[in-house]
Amino acid sequence: MATGSFTRGMRSVWRSLRSMRTALILLLLLGLGSVVGSLVPQAPSSPARVAQLFADRPLLARVHDALGFFDVYGSWWFTLLYVLLLISLAACLIPRTRGLVRGMAARWQPARDLEGMRHFASGRVEGSPQEAVGRARRALRRRGWGVRSGGETALAAEKGLAREVGSLAFHWAFFLLLIGVVIGRGFGFTGQATVIEGEVFTEAHASYDFPPREGRFFDEAHRGFQVRVLDFEVSYRESGLPRDFVSRVEVIEEGEVVRTEEIRVNHPLGHRGVKLYQSGYGWAPMVEVRHEGELLASDPLVFVTDDPNDALRPWRGAIKLPGLVPQVGLELQLLPDPAAFVAGRPMLEARDPFLAYRAFRGDLQLTEAQSVFRLEKERLEEYDSGGVAIGETVELPGGVEVTFRDLRQYTQLLVKRDPGTGLMLATAVLVLVGLIPALYSSRRRIWVRAMPEGDGTRLEIGGFALQRKGAFDEEFGRLVRDLVPRGRVGVP
Amino acid sequence: MTEASNTTFGVALALYLVAMIGYLHNFAYRRPAPLAAARVVAYLGLAAHAASVVLRGLAAGRVPWGNMYEYASVVGLAVVAVYLLVVERRVEARRLGGFVLGATVLIMAASTMVYVEPGPLIPALNSGWLRVHVLAAIVSSALFTLGFVFTVLYLIQDRRERRVERGAEQRAPAMASASVGSGLPHDLAVESDPEEGRATVTLGPERGNGHGGMPGRPTRRGRLPASAALDDLAAKAITFAFPLWTFAVVAGAIWAEQAWGRYWGWDPKEVWSFVTWVLFAGYLHARATQGWRGRRAAVIAVLGFAALLFNLIVVNLVVS
Ligand code: HEM
Repeated sequence: MATGSFTRGMRSVWRSLRSMRTALILLLLLGLGSVVGSLVPQAPSSPARVAQLFADRPLLARVHDALGFFDVYGSWWFTLLYVLLLISLAACLIPRTRGLVRGMAARWQPARDLEGMRHFASGRVEGSPQEAVGRARRALRRRGWGVRSGGETALAAEKGLAREVGSLAFHWAFFLLLIGVVIGRGFGFTGQATVIEGEVFTEAHASYDFPPREGRFFDEAHRGFQVRVLDFEVSYRESGLPRDFVSRVEVIEEGEVVRTEEIRVNHPLGHRGVKLYQSGYGWAPMVEVRHEGELLASDPLVFVTDDPNDALRPWRGAIKLPGLVPQVGLELQLLPDPAAFVAGRPMLEARDPFLAYRAFRGDLQLTEAQSVFRLEKERLEEYDSGGVAIGETVELPGGVEVTFRDLRQYTQLLVKRDPGTGLMLATAVLVLVGLIPALYSSRRRIWVRAMPEGDGTRLEIGGFALQRKGAFDEEFGRLVRDLVPRGRVGVP
Repeated sequence: MTEASNTTFGVALALYLVAMIGYLHNFAYRRPAPLAAARVVAYLGLAAHAASVVLRGLAAGRVPWGNMYEYASVVGLAVVAVYLLVVERRVEARRLGGFVLGATVLIMAASTMVYVEPGPLIPALNSGWLRVHVLAAIVSSALFTLGFVFTVLYLIQDRRERRVERGAEQRAPAMASASVGSGLPHDLAVESDPEEGRATVTLGPERGNGHGGMPGRPTRRGRLPASAALDDLAAKAITFAFPLWTFAVVAGAIWAEQAWGRYWGWDPKEVWSFVTWVLFAGYLHARATQGWRGRRAAVIAVLGFAALLFNLIVVNLVVS
C-alpha cells in the first residue's frame, strides 16, 4: 500500500519533470534566485557588506542568512533547483531525441486521405503514373525535399527536418552548458597572487595571498611551475587615464625558463591549463631598518591604496618590529610623486618618491590577527614622525635607522584553472548554431499519388506544415505548379 | 567633431519628432500625404542620426558604443533603421511609424540625461569581444524594443477586437429580427478563420468616416492593423532578437573570461541578461504552446522587455 502510493507519487513527480513547462519554471526560479543574489550582498564577494548588515540589522541579516540569501549560488536551494532543471531537461529531451531518431529511420506509410489534408491539389499530367512519380521525385529533390518512401506510383517527402535537429541540438547544448558550469566549479580553482618586480611566484596552494578557492574535486592538483615578474608597467594617456597594464614574466619549469611573456588586461597568460590574469598593481618600497647596526628588515613591502582609481592619494603600509623592547611599529605613507601631490595632480609615475612615517612604540598586539598594512594602536604611543626621500636614511630617537633604498612595483595576478571552459565554448557555439534552424525553418510534408487516367495520369498532392502554415500556402502553390505543369489544377 | 555629432543628433531628434507627428496624423485621419511626407522626413532623420554616430566614433577614436549615451543613441538608430528598411516593407505596418518613432524619441531624450564627452575607454573595455558583445546587445535591444511596441499595440487591439466580438454577439439576435436597413452605421463582415476555429467579426473600416460620421472618430475596429498582424510583427522582431541576444550573452561571457578570468560571475548585469533571456525563451515556448499563444505570450514579452530596461537603467545607474 505505502510503497504503491510512494511509486505513484514518484511517477507524478517524474511526469511533471518531463514537461517543458516545469523546465522553464525551474529556469525562471533560478533566474529569480539570481536576482536575489544581485540585490543582496554576497558573502563570498563582499563579506564586509554582509558583516555590516549583521551589525546594523541583526534580525533581518539572520533571516537572510537562514534562507541562504548571502550565498545564493552556494545555497542548498539553488543547487536543488539546478539539479532538478538538469533532470527535467534530460527527461524532456530523451524522448524527443528518441522520437526524432525513430521518425528518421521509419519508412512512411503512404497517406490514404490526401483530400482531407489542409493542402490538397490534383491534376492531369502526361505519361504513365510511374513516369509522373519519377518526375515528381526529381522535381522535389531539386527543391531540396527529402524524398522518404514511395514505390512505383506514390511518394512521400519532407523538408525542414533541420528545425527539429536544430532544436534538439540547441536544447542538448544548453543542457551540456549547465554541466560545463558544474565541471568548471568542481575541478578548478581560483587564487590571487601579489608578486613584486623581480620576485618569483610558485603555483602552489600555500603561495597565494589567501587560500585559493578550490573546487570539491580539485584535489590539490596545483601545477608547481613558477612565474618570475621581470617588471610591471602602467602606461597612461595624456588625460591621465590608464592605457594599459603590462606584467612581463618568465615561466619557470624545474628551474629553467621556458617562456617569456606579457600579461596584460584582456590578454591572460595560459600555461598548462592554468591562466594568469592581470588584475591589480601597486607600489612596493624597499625599506631597510637597522637597530644598532643590525639589519632588521630589508624586503620590499607591499603598499596599498584605499581607492585604486584615485591617484591623488598616498599609498600606505606598515613595518612591525616585534624584536625590539619596547616593540616598535612604523606607519608609512608613500608619495610616488611628491611634486604632483603638492600640486593636487595625480601621482602616476615615480618621481623623487618620498616616504612619510609615524613611529609608535609599546605593544604591537601581534598575538591577535591583524592587517599587515596598519598598526593596532590601542597600546602604542607615537614618539616620532617625519619623512625620508629615496636613497636617504633617517635616524629615529632610540637608535632605529630607516633607509628608503628603492621603489618597485608589484603586480596582482588572478590565477585560475577551469577545465570546463572548452566545453562551455563548444556548447555555446552549438546553442547558437542549433537556434537558427530551430527558429527560422519549418517542417512540412508532402504526399504524391499517381493513377492512370485515360492516356495520361492523375496526380494527387497533399501536404501540411507543422509551423509557418501561412508561408506554406504559397510554397505549396508553387510546388503544385511545378509538379503539374500543364494539367488542370484544382485546389479546393 | 564632437559638436558636429551633437548637432546632427539634435537634428535627427527634431526630424524624428516631425515625422512622428506626420505618421500620427496619418494614423488618425488616414490621409496619404502626411504619411508620404513623414516617411521622407524619417529617412532624413535616419541619415542625420547615422552621421551623428559616425562623427561620435571619429571624435572618440573608437567604436561609438562605449558608454550609456552612445549605447542608447545607437539603439535608437537601429530601431529606426530596422523599422524603415525592413518593417515598413509591409504596407500595413506604415500605420505604426508614429509609435515606433515615439519610442525612439523617448530613448534618445533619455540618452541625453547620461551624456558624456567622447573619450577613450579604460583598458578592460578595450577588447574585440566586448565591441562585438555590445553591438549585438544594441541590435537585439532595438529589435526587442520594436517587439515591445508591437506587443503593446497588439494587446490594445486584441482587447478592442474582443469587445467588438462581444458586442456583436449581443446584437446578433436583434439583427436576426430586424429587417434590412436596420440603421446600423457600419457594414458587418463575418470572417471565419479555419486555423483558429473561431469566427471574427469586423466592421467595414472606411464607410463611417467619409460621410455622416465625425472625421477621425475611431471605427470600432480601430485604426490599428488586425491583432493577428500585430502579433505576427512582434513575434518576428522577437524571434530575430533572441538568437542575437543569445550571441550577445555568449560574446560577453567570452570577454569576461578574458578580462576577469571567469565567464560567468552572477554579477547584476549578467543576472539580468540571463533573466531577460529566460523570459524571451518562455515567450517563444508560449507561442508554440496551445492556450498560451496570444495574450499570455504577449504578457511574457512585456516582462522580458521590462527586464531588459531594468538592466540598462537600474543596474547601470544604481546597482553598479
Ligand atoms: C525541458 C523541457 C523542454 C522541452 C520539452 C522543450 C521543448 C521545445 C519544443 C518542442 C520546441 C519547438 C517548438 C516549435 O517547434 O515550435 C522548443 C523550442 C525552443 N526551446 Fe524548448 N523545451 C524545453 C526546455 C527549454 C529550455 C530550458 C530552454 C532555455 C531557455 C528552451 C528554449 C527554447 C527555444 C529558444 C526554442 C525555440 C522556439 C521555437 O522553436 O519557436 N527550451 N522547445
